[in-house]
Amino acid sequence: MKKEIVLKIDHVSYRYKDAPKDVYVFKNMSYTFETGKVYVIKGKSGSGKTTLLSLISGLEKGYEGKIYFRDRDLSRIKLDKYRNSDIGIVFQSYNLLVHLTASENILLSMNINGMKEKNKKERVIELLESVGLTKDHANRRVLKLSGGEQQRVAIARSLSYNPGIILADEPTGNLDRETENDILKIFKDLAHKDNKCVIIVTHSDNVAKQADEVIELTSQKKKD
Amino acid sequence: MYIIKNAFISISRNKGRNILIGIIIMVIAASCAITLAIRSSADKIVTSYEKKYPIEVTIGMNRANLTQSFKDNNSSQEDMIEAFNELEPLTIEEIEKYGDSSYIAKYHYTYSVSLNGKDIKEATDSLVKETTTTKTETETKTETYETPAPSRDGNMPPFDRENSGSTSTKKSTTQRKTTTTQVENIRNERAAKGVFTVIGYNSYEAMSDFINGNYTITDGEVSDDFDANNCVISEELATLNELKVGDIITLVSPDDEKITYDLNITGIYQENTDSASDMRNMFSNSANTIITNVTTVKDIVSKDEDANPTVTPTYILKNKDDVGAFEVEVTSKGLSNYYMLNNNLEVVENATKSVLSVKNFATTFLIITLIIGAVVLLVINMINIRERKYEIGVLRTIGMKKSLVGTQFTLELLIVCLTFLVLGAFIGGFTSVQVSNKLLNNEISNAKEDIENISNNFGGKMRDFNRNEIGVQELETIDSIDAAVDMKVLAQLLGIGIGLTLVGSAASMIAISRFSPLDILKERS
Ligand SMILES: Nc1ncnc2c1ncn2[C@@H]1O[C@H](COP(=O)(O)OP(=O)(O)OP(=O)(O)O)[C@@H](O)[C@H]1O
Ligand SMILES: [Mg+2]
Repeated sequence: MKKEIVLKIDHVSYRYKDAPKDVYVFKNMSYTFETGKVYVIKGKSGSGKTTLLSLISGLEKGYEGKIYFRDRDLSRIKLDKYRNSDIGIVFQSYNLLVHLTASENILLSMNINGMKEKNKKERVIELLESVGLTKDHANRRVLKLSGGEQQRVAIARSLSYNPGIILADEPTGNLDRETENDILKIFKDLAHKDNKCVIIVTHSDNVAKQADEVIELTSQKKKD
Repeated sequence: MYIIKNAFISISRNKGRNILIGIIIMVIAASCAITLAIRSSADKIVTSYEKKYPIEVTIGMNRANLTQSFKDNNSSQEDMIEAFNELEPLTIEEIEKYGDSSYIAKYHYTYSVSLNGKDIKEATDSLVKETTTTKTETETKTETYETPAPSRDGNMPPFDRENSGSTSTKKSTTQRKTTTTQVENIRNERAAKGVFTVIGYNSYEAMSDFINGNYTITDGEVSDDFDANNCVISEELATLNELKVGDIITLVSPDDEKITYDLNITGIYQENTDSASDMRNMFSNSANTIITNVTTVKDIVSKDEDANPTVTPTYILKNKDDVGAFEVEVTSKGLSNYYMLNNNLEVVENATKSVLSVKNFATTFLIITLIIGAVVLLVINMINIRERKYEIGVLRTIGMKKSLVGTQFTLELLIVCLTFLVLGAFIGGFTSVQVSNKLLNNEISNAKEDIENISNNFGGKMRDFNRNEIGVQELETIDSIDAAVDMKVLAQLLGIGIGLTLVGSAASMIAISRFSPLDILKERS
């Protein structure tokens, strides 16, 4: 499979607006991400992993430097469209809509994306089955699912509109080893079989071991 | 669009919140509907009052102008009395000329003449009888001999009596100090002018004394043949002369005893006014009033060239705002400034005053309800948005546009508001049917009573009488909601509801655009 660069972080520095003036989360960071690979971002708590994902997903702006998505400057594209079609985000805290069922959550993402597909409902079931959930799970309100099940729903949602990049923030943080391996298998398949770029933030050495590339973030830096 | 489906799902899955908003909307809508219904009932009552008491304009003497002109000429009181007598009476042609006006809905008039009776005695005023019988054997009566238009009283609505009454009063005060010789003189003078006032009406409608209940038929009826030589006489006169329905009375011209007229009695009326409260009756005796029709009086006048008939018009205006304009028009058409126009505007306005104040109160209440409603809705919406911050965060992170999030939230609010608005309008409608009917019922029963009374006053004959002319059938109870909350009211409510919702969602739009999705999500975890 042909590997290509989908994401490029180019000399990015970032500090939160309300942080002290010289306290930067990143300083002059540069990385490139390719399709067909699983990347793991490691680092201590507070090292800026979530912040990095926020920048990549366009949720956080006001950084120095450039971030490119397939040669396109992130600061110059429509971020809503970017988020609902080019990247799939799996959050640490799942971020599902609690008043909806599992399948409604997934359907919503597909609708926001504007998919014209006819049998969306069948695709939802397929997606849920691909992450190891059943039809019974599909029609339950997400609050009535376990943490691991909710995480799977969140993954299924992020895949629903077939994005090129999957961003996952501690996708296995609340899960046992066995389930962690199940989920990891899904991500590896996505990278290696579907040629997607998968970026996983994790503390887990088990996850890091199975990655194609590991990025180690060190703690907060001061900018000279 | 998926957001419509989304909105419905969101509403159905968050019932508690939406019912809370809904109840507030419902209460606002219901109280709006009730106040709007009260307002429209008040309007209906006012309209019915205005129909029942049409704006009537009559022509009376302008005493102030007359007195002034004599003061200017240094004339004596005798001259003045003389002038009153000489005052050129109104003619039918004149009355018709004034009536031919765009301000006038219709008009009617009475035509009257004074005659003496052949073989019939005149009724005598008790007050005068007391002071005079000791000195005079014959029954005398101090008629208001100086009033040039005895018939004026005939169709004078109550508001006008005071004016003409005061004319009589002043002069009659002098009269009361009369000596026997003066009484004799008066008698002769009266006989010379005619002791019976024969009033001709041209329709039932013109017979306001029967309509307002001053006169009631006790035997027979008021004939509906306004061309025949029929008449109605007072009970007093009938008793005094042993007359009954079907008898014929003969009247004689005061100028020439050879000129006589026969009238067929079709009914006997009783006078219901409290004489003491009615100044007119102190000095004149309405028992000597013989009621007939205009055709008959015209006939009498045509036979007697010395007859001195009087016409008393009543003009009914189309619009109460035209009183002044009509007066200007009449003056320009040549009404002498010794005459003036009188109207019953004040009476009519007084009658509707309390209803109008109910309407004003309802309006104020409506405005207050709307303001409170708008504020409450705004606050609830703000709280709602804060509660749904997390939802906004999720929707934004999965790439839903701000404007679409805002649209969905607005849609939800709109659906909830309109549903409960309609519900509230229906509840308000049901309630307002009761409220309105409470307000209207009294008016309706009054109106029904009026019809019956008036019919009785005429001796049961109402064939020609157009009941609507006196507004008695204008009111009807409301028995369906759409009558109380009509389409206009619903449209107003809908407008109000949409307005309030848009104000509410404007607040949410601003909130949505201010929130950073990441912060929201972090707040949550
Ligand atoms: N909104 C914010 N405003 C200011 N500082 C922030 C904000 N969010 C995070 N930070 C700071 O930025 C740094 C990086 O935070 P981040 O959440 O990226 O850490 P992390 O590596 O994801 O940690 P963890 O493993 O605990 O999730 C931390 O020092 C944190 O205190
Ligand atoms: Mg983190």
